[in-house]
Amino acid sequence: MSFLTWPAALMAASISVPLLLLLYFLKLRRVERTIPSTLLWKKAVQDLQVNAPFQKLRKSLLLLLQFLLLLAVLLAIANPVMNFDRQPERNVVLLIDQSASMKTIEADGRQRIELAREAARDFVDNLAAGSKAMVIAFSDRAEVVCTFTNDKRRLKDRIGAIEPNDARTQIGEALQLAVAYSSSVVETGATGGGFNPESLQVADIELFSDGRLTDAASEFVTRANMIHHVIGESADNIGVTAFDVRREIDRPGLVSVFAQVQNFGEKEVTLDASLFLDDRLKDVKQITLGPAKVATSRPASGDDVVAAGRNVLFEPFDHDAGGVISVKLSRKDAFSVDDVVSGPIDPPRALRILVVCDREEEKYVFRRVFQDALEISDLTIMGGEEYENAAEDQVAVEGRSAFDLVVLSNHDTARLLPGNYVFFGGLPAIDSLSVEGEVEYGYFVTWREAHPLLRYVALDGVYTIRWKRLKFPDHAARLIEGDDSTVMALITDPGHRYVVFAFDLLDSSFRMLPAFPIFMQNAVDYLAGGAVTDSNKLIAPGDTFSVSTPPGAQTMTIVRPDGTEEDFKIEDRHTMTYGRTREIGSYVAKFDDKDKTVETYCANILDATESTIAPNKELTLSGQAIKSVSGDVEVNEPLWPWAVGLALLMLLFEWWIYNRRVMI
Amino acid sequence: MAEAPATRSAAKNDEQLLDPDFLARLEQLEIVSRKIHASRQKGERKSRRKGESAEFADYRNYVIGDDLRHIDWNIYARLDRLFLKLFLEEEDLNVSIIVDVSGSMAHGKPQKGLYAKRVAAAMAYIGLCNYDRVNLCAYNDRVTDFRQGLRGRRMMPQIVKFLEETPIEGRSHFAAAARQFALRQSQKGVVLILSDFMDKGGFEAGFRYLLGRNMDIYVLQVLSPEEVNPELAGDLKLVDCEDDDVAEVTISKPLLDKYKANLQAYCESIRSYAMRRGASYYLAVTDHPFESLVLNYLRQRGLVR
Repeated sequence: MSFLTWPAALMAASISVPLLLLLYFLKLRRVERTIPSTLLWKKAVQDLQVNAPFQKLRKSLLLLLQFLLLLAVLLAIANPVMNFDRQPERNVVLLIDQSASMKTIEADGRQRIELAREAARDFVDNLAAGSKAMVIAFSDRAEVVCTFTNDKRRLKDRIGAIEPNDARTQIGEALQLAVAYSSSVVETGATGGGFNPESLQVADIELFSDGRLTDAASEFVTRANMIHHVIGESADNIGVTAFDVRREIDRPGLVSVFAQVQNFGEKEVTLDASLFLDDRLKDVKQITLGPAKVATSRPASGDDVVAAGRNVLFEPFDHDAGGVISVKLSRKDAFSVDDVVSGPIDPPRALRILVVCDREEEKYVFRRVFQDALEISDLTIMGGEEYENAAEDQVAVEGRSAFDLVVLSNHDTARLLPGNYVFFGGLPAIDSLSVEGEVEYGYFVTWREAHPLLRYVALDGVYTIRWKRLKFPDHAARLIEGDDSTVMALITDPGHRYVVFAFDLLDSSFRMLPAFPIFMQNAVDYLAGGAVTDSNKLIAPGDTFSVSTPPGAQTMTIVRPDGTEEDFKIEDRHTMTYGRTREIGSYVAKFDDKDKTVETYCANILDATESTIAPNKELTLSGQAIKSVSGDVEVNEPLWPWAVGLALLMLLFEWWIYNRRVMI
Repeated sequence: MAEAPATRSAAKNDEQLLDPDFLARLEQLEIVSRKIHASRQKGERKSRRKGESAEFADYRNYVIGDDLRHIDWNIYARLDRLFLKLFLEEEDLNVSIIVDVSGSMAHGKPQKGLYAKRVAAAMAYIGLCNYDRVNLCAYNDRVTDFRQGLRGRRMMPQIVKFLEETPIEGRSHFAAAARQFALRQSQKGVVLILSDFMDKGGFEAGFRYLLGRNMDIYVLQVLSPEEVNPELAGDLKLVDCEDDDVAEVTISKPLLDKYKANLQAYCESIRSYAMRRGASYYLAVTDHPFESLVLNYLRQRGLVR
């Protein structure tokens, strides 16, 4: 036990104790009473004194009680606390997780964020007088809730105002902020002349989180002590971690919906996954999920839970209009944000495919494949020069490629509008993709059969005369490997996907084998299939989305998931960007042009790390273990109410004694 | 002490010591003495001794030396034997009333001194009515005033005057007063002591002087209700009104209980002391109407009849 404000108590004591004694001695001026004889009284007093133990004490019992009462009050003033290690003054940054997982309902019915706020407030209470603290709330972005102050009340008020959102947990920005702010404190603090390296100490970082950080592997703490206060207990959660809506390429009217459901809890569960189209029930699937396993070897991110998952493919259904498709899980669990996902679906449109090639043989092959085998009607074939010189409106729509898939054969190009490309022989003009030489009479050693692009593609019999030895960027997915170089790779850049074959189509038997149309089917499915459901209309909470403004529109109205509307003036802008997307659900952008264009964007968590709500008690950042304070934070249990209660008890006791003594 | 003059005048003016109706009722009473009193004068009372009154008692044989005047000549004539005719002796009674007029008697509501004086007056009146010899004695630490040999109803005003004019003051010393009284009043008789016995010198010595005179002692201890049930509270400095002795007390229930127990024990010690020596003890609390005390209580207890 220690006292937070003992100087105040000491001051009060120095005044009140002598005052009490003074009052007591003043009080002892006895009232004089003349009586017939003191004979019997003296005898009575003597008898009593002889018989009573602690007679001296008894004489001043009231004084003693008053002393105890005063002592209790002084004790209360001294603000005694239990479990308190007296800490030196220090600067502290409180990082409070406000991500989606903090919405988890704990066993006692409180949200995890409430526990975090409570823990943070207790921590602030515990701070030694003179310590300064600042508060940063973070999810995918960080926000300074309260700058450095020693005003505990303000700190606590601000902490109390932190509300969770549906965004992911990314600590990076918060750490940067913390370091930046705390360094400035040190600077302003060092007022004396000369540079003092001691003063360069960065504030301590106190993290209040469940420890599920998506960027744990890539962030690190510099020059600061970080302590992780583990918030929360429950792990019971089932969430949708992947979701896709697509139209069949050959039958655009048919919508198929895929969802991945994962169990992060410790028990086997059976639940219903329901498919809704614009809130109308379309399909229900019952799924049974086994318990999540605890991994024996922990990966660097600290993820120690391997969720049991299942992919759910709903019955495809016909739907020729747009709408919002959602999947809801029937089971109530601690974390409800990931129990529903939604995605917009646009009205079907035919796939548009552009083939750029100059040689007749190639044109023939592609025509046969796309028109005859894949039955794609909207096929455009251009020559290489024609493609380079084509007018913008011929190849581009709204800043994107006008085609769902562009296949270029034996043609290098730098005209790469955002879109999907397949290169045979030619190369896209992108960084870190270069030719290093040539391979002749090589053979394919290995290929990733499981990749969607190569599913059912039999490459065993493919004979290729020569191919280029290409240097692919590091992030390229190498799908076909020759004996010493990569033959085919998928490069995913923002807005672009390139499938690059190192060989010319005419140098290989690939075009003549059944594998070729199968590959093209895969490529259309995989690359262009997303175009049917615009994959960039599915966003993560906190992401921004851009909407192209239709001509003639003056205002854009965003209807948020909770039904509130926000209006924006368009003026001359061609694209509008919206960023307040931290809540999951659909964001509907409505325009006031004559077509009344409506664009729907859906924010979903779809993040296994966020759905893993079991607190991570062994947090590591870039392999650096973070000290955890688990469970209950050591709090300053304030004892002054007890002291006040004791004082009241003393008062009552004294009152009783006093009354008893005068009672006749 | 300060109250004393006021109460004295109150005794004079406000209330008579005795009212006439009460006096009339007192006339029917007489004081009982259990002892044989050898008074020099013939009195109004039957004596247990055979004597020379008009009332016949018995006969006995004549022995030589008997007074010839008492021989029953009629019987001698008839039987030719000498018989002595015996008559009941009538003798008078010495009734001595000793009243404590020390300072402590000035306390109490009703005042103890006044109460004692009234009882004294009533007893004196009874004595006068029965033609007893009434002696009045007031004392504090000595005998302050003494009236002897009052007889007959017409002496009553003197007695009232005496009682009214005797101030209630001074320290009490019963032993010294009893010694003086015993020296002056050598005759046997009834002695009624009216006091609160709040005497730091003790009561035993005083009794011994009186018992030594073979007196028939009646003790009436007069206490005020305030003494029996003190209504005191808080931290007090109790000052003795007689000797300014100080007792600092903090009134508490245990203390009050102890005081009451002590008071009871004190009264009991006086009573048992008196009883063992053939004296009678009575306790009077001043809120008990003294008329009823005299007419009922003392009558029942055998002091008067």
